[in-house]
Parts: sequence; C-alpha cells; structure tokens
Amino acid sequence: MANLKKRHFFVGGDLSSKSYFLALLKAGLGTGILSESFLEKIQLQFLNLLAYKCKRYNLGDSSSIRVEAAESIMNSILYTIGIYLKSLPDIELVINQLKETSLSEIYDKGRELLTTKIDSAKERFETIKDNKLSTLNSTYNDTIENGIGLFFAAYDPEFEAHDTPGSIDYQLCNPVTGLSGIEFIEKYLESLLLENEFCRLFAAEDIHYLLSGYDKRYKDLLLNIFEHTLTNALGCALASCSVRGLNLQAEDIQLVARLLTDETEASIERKLSTAAEAVVKELEITNPALRKYISKSLSKIVLNIKQALRTNTVDQIFVSFVNPDLEPKIQFLSKPKMEDEEYRKLIDDLLECRYSTDKLVLIKKKVKSFDDLEDLLFDAYLGPEEMIEVFGMFNDLELAMLIKRHPYNSKIQAVDLEENERILRTNLKKYLDKLPQLRRERVSKLVKQLADDM
Amino acid sequence: MSLAIMNISSALIQRHAVAEILSCNEFTAKFGLILSRLDAIELVETRTKTLKSTGRVEFGGGVIEKLIREFCTSSYISRHNYVETLHGLIEIFYYYKNETLDLISDDELIKFMRKSFDEICQGSLELLSGRELYNLARNLRYGFGPDCTEDYLEGDEEDGES
Repeated sequence: MANLKKRHFFVGGDLSSKSYFLALLKAGLGTGILSESFLEKIQLQFLNLLAYKCKRYNLGDSSSIRVEAAESIMNSILYTIGIYLKSLPDIELVINQLKETSLSEIYDKGRELLTTKIDSAKERFETIKDNKLSTLNSTYNDTIENGIGLFFAAYDPEFEAHDTPGSIDYQLCNPVTGLSGIEFIEKYLESLLLENEFCRLFAAEDIHYLLSGYDKRYKDLLLNIFEHTLTNALGCALASCSVRGLNLQAEDIQLVARLLTDETEASIERKLSTAAEAVVKELEITNPALRKYISKSLSKIVLNIKQALRTNTVDQIFVSFVNPDLEPKIQFLSKPKMEDEEYRKLIDDLLECRYSTDKLVLIKKKVKSFDDLEDLLFDAYLGPEEMIEVFGMFNDLELAMLIKRHPYNSKIQAVDLEENERILRTNLKKYLDKLPQLRRERVSKLVKQLADDM
Repeated sequence: MSLAIMNISSALIQRHAVAEILSCNEFTAKFGLILSRLDAIELVETRTKTLKSTGRVEFGGGVIEKLIREFCTSSYISRHNYVETLHGLIEIFYYYKNETLDLISDDELIKFMRKSFDEICQGSLELLSGRELYNLARNLRYGFGPDCTEDYLEGDEEDGES
C-alpha cells in the first residue's frame, strides 16, 4: 500500500525546482508518508540552514537581515535542495534521502550539482557562440553576444540560485516556461542549440531571403528564425519542392493553401507530421533530440496555419524568397526649395486670397518644387477641397513620395500625430480612394519602390 | 501544524531565543541582574515587534544576548531598571541597524551604544537614540567618519556655499 502511495505521490505536483521541495513535503504530509514530527525536524533543520546562510550573507557582521534579503535566500535554498532531489531517479530514493540525510548535506549536494550545471551550461553556450547563425536579426545577435553572457556574469548560486538575471530577449519556438535560474538557462540553451542545428542545414543567405520575404525589416523584429525556416521547409515538402532549397513560389503557396483549406485541425496536424517526416528524411536529420523538437514545434505551426487559413493570409505563413538587394529603388530628388523670404510672401498672399481658384492659380504659378508644395500643405491653412485640388497637381511619383512621407493611419494609430499632420493624411487618403484603380495601383507600386532615405 | 511548512514558525524562533536569553543569567547573576522566564519572553516579544516594524528578520537570540553581556557591567544599570533598559536598547538597536544601512556590524554598533550610554549620555536612552546614534547613522550614510560632529558638517556646508 505504501509503495502504491509513493508511486502516485506527485500527481499534479509542481515540478519547478523552486517549489519542488515544498510540494514534496506537502504531498508527503497529505499521503501520510511523512509524519508531522518529521516535518518539524525538517523545519528546524531548514531554519538552522537559513540562519547559517543569512550569517554568511552578512559576512558574520550582523545576526539580523532585511526581510526581502532573507526571503531571497530562503528561495535560493529551496531551489538548491529541489534541484538535487529532482535529480534523483525515483520518489522512494527522494524520501529515503530526506529521512536519512541532513538537510544541510542535501543542500551541499544541490550546490555541487548547481556548479556542475553552470559549468556544462557555459560549455553549451560556447558551442552556441561558435555555431551562431549568420543573420541580421538584432534580437538573436544581442541575446547570444550579450544577454546570455550577462546571465553567467550576474548569476549568484550562493544566495540567488532561483533568480534569472541577464537579458534574454530572443524568443524560442517553444518558449521555456515554469523554470528559473540555471534550469531555465540550461533548457533555453538546449533548445537554442537544436534550433541552430536545424537552421544550419540551410544556406544563411537563403534564410535571409526567406525572412526578407516575411518582412523586409525582419532585423528589428522579435521573430523566431527556426519557426519560419521550419514552416517554409514544411511548405516545400507539402508542395513537393526541394526542402533544402527552402523557397516557395506563389503557385506553390497556392497549392499548399488548397491542400490545407477546409481540413480539420487534426487533419492539418497529420499532413504536417507527414511533411515533417519528409523534411527530416530529405535533410538527413539523425539527432533524435532535434527530431523530437521539430515534432514539438508542429502544434504551434498548425495553430499559425489555421489562423492564416481563417484570415486568408497563407502567403504570410509560407513565403517566397525576396532579395532586398535586387529590388529596384527609386531615389526621389525634389527641386531646390524657394528662398524663405519668397515662401513667406507666397503664404501671406495665399492667406489673403478669398477664392480657392485664386489660391490654386497662385500655387501653380509660384511653386516649382515638391518640398515647397509639401510645406505649403501645412502652412497655407487650405480647406479639404483645396487640399485635394493641390494633390491633383502632383504626378504619380510625387504622389507616391507624399504617401511614403505621410502614410495613412487608423484613428488609434494616429492618436500621437499633430492635428495638421492628421488632417493631411486623412485628406490624402480620401483623394487616393477617389483615384481610378489603375493609377492607384501604379502609385502603390511606386511607394514600395521608393528608397527609404529621403 | 500548518501546511505552509516553510513559513518560518515564530513559536520555534521564540522558544530558541528565550532559552538563549535565560542562559545569560549565569553570567549576569554576579552583578545582581537576573531575568525571569517571563522577562525573557517579553524581551523576545519586543524584539519580534521591533523586527516587524523595521522590516527585518533574525534567527536565534543573538543580539539580546550580546546587549545583555555588554550592558550588564554598566554603572547606569541596576536591577531596578535592567529589564526596562533592555527593552529600550533592543528597539534602538534594530531601528539604527536600518538607519545605518547595515554599514556597521552588530558588535561595533553595540560597542558604540555602550560607550555613548556610559560616557556622553550618562545612562540616558533618549540622548543615546536622539543624538548620538542619529549622528552616527547620518555620518555613515554620508560617508563621514563615525565621530564626525554636526558643527564640523555645518562648517563644511558653509565653506561650500562661500
């Protein structure tokens, strides 16, 4: 009976090291395996251990300590004890250890284990640094080059073993949850290593083109490189393209969309599992941990695909390569602005004009530069109709430049804009909506082709 | 017993601390100073209240024992004011432990208290707390030496202004 109880000891127990020890005692008391007198003994031992650690924290100078510091030390002790007990193969051994060994000895063993874990995590981190992907994504680069190093510099296994310092911003495909301290970093590095191993099966420039196809500003985005790479690899397998090539043409994406539309979540998952097997086979992946990681990531990708199918945006999940360097860019150069004195006189004249027609005649006659015309839209207090008339004076390229500089935002996005900027953007949007479709498309294309530096 | 197993039991700490305080009687008896069990419990209660109000925690009866051993030889303490003075000293000690930002060790603070209590304060806890320890805490916070006087600081400020 006791064995049976022990076997079912941990149903529903929290397994993070910080709470493991307390959960164990709670469950032990609940099932009657641990007696109250035994718990009192453990409590006394814990108190002595805490007192000893607090004394060490104060370097023996002070017998009292601030409550926050004491709490942190207490959590650190619980974490260290938990990390050792968790490492034991079965629950019977855990109970025996608790009954036969003093708490300070268990703590010491946990502390040794912590040191070993720190050393092995450091080694793994070195491997990651050596095999880092060549990418422009700044979150990925910053986390590996600075953030994780900060963890090792600031981690204090003696008094704050449960804490996770550092600046780890790069999000994994399967985020590490419920863990802290060295356990967190261990798991994070393990996953990152697997993600890197997978991504290194593709050419770095292919991943660059893939992510550029997802978003040209991907270097500033908080995205996961592995997730996008795996998704496109799965797409390639589904569309019977070369997985190693990683690229999907528009017709391939349509084919994948057709294959997955109207399917249930379970059916999509089955199809993706088959595709994942094809990916593993074609890429000759033999590492079982990586295979497991790929199948673990599928559920997240299935959710993304389901959402994309619902919103008809499959082309944002499976993407075609874009080489940003090959895209033609138009450099817009405006004619030189008129002299300030001349501009001021023009504005005064415009403000004195009674009729809109007079204003427009004056503008047509005097203004020769795009930049002057743009300034004038803010300074001349033009009404909505007058503004739209002025927009009519722009050619396609000028109109595209105006849109690029003053893109339309929704009311919520435009909340921080100046009043006259908001009016300009709203009127520009109204003008564009009234344009013939052909011209509108031509202008939109030009907006995309215009170079960023203005 | 509560299931919040590691919520440190105040009863346990108290039992521990009372025993430690009572053991001091062997040493203080030769000066005619003896604490009853009730006195010891009340001293621990004062400590608990002060620790709570100052946001600190302590294990064992360390500081009370040190205060007893340091002050029992003071000529300003007799069996008539022994317990009362100890209560005052405990409150002052923890308050200034915080005010000095833990920059001074227990032993140094207790020695400073004893010296000031016996000499410049002539047995007055008010002067000890309101003047001597106040100056000490301010000096430590501003990085001056513990014996730096207020006059010196004011002179220094005036020099700075001119």
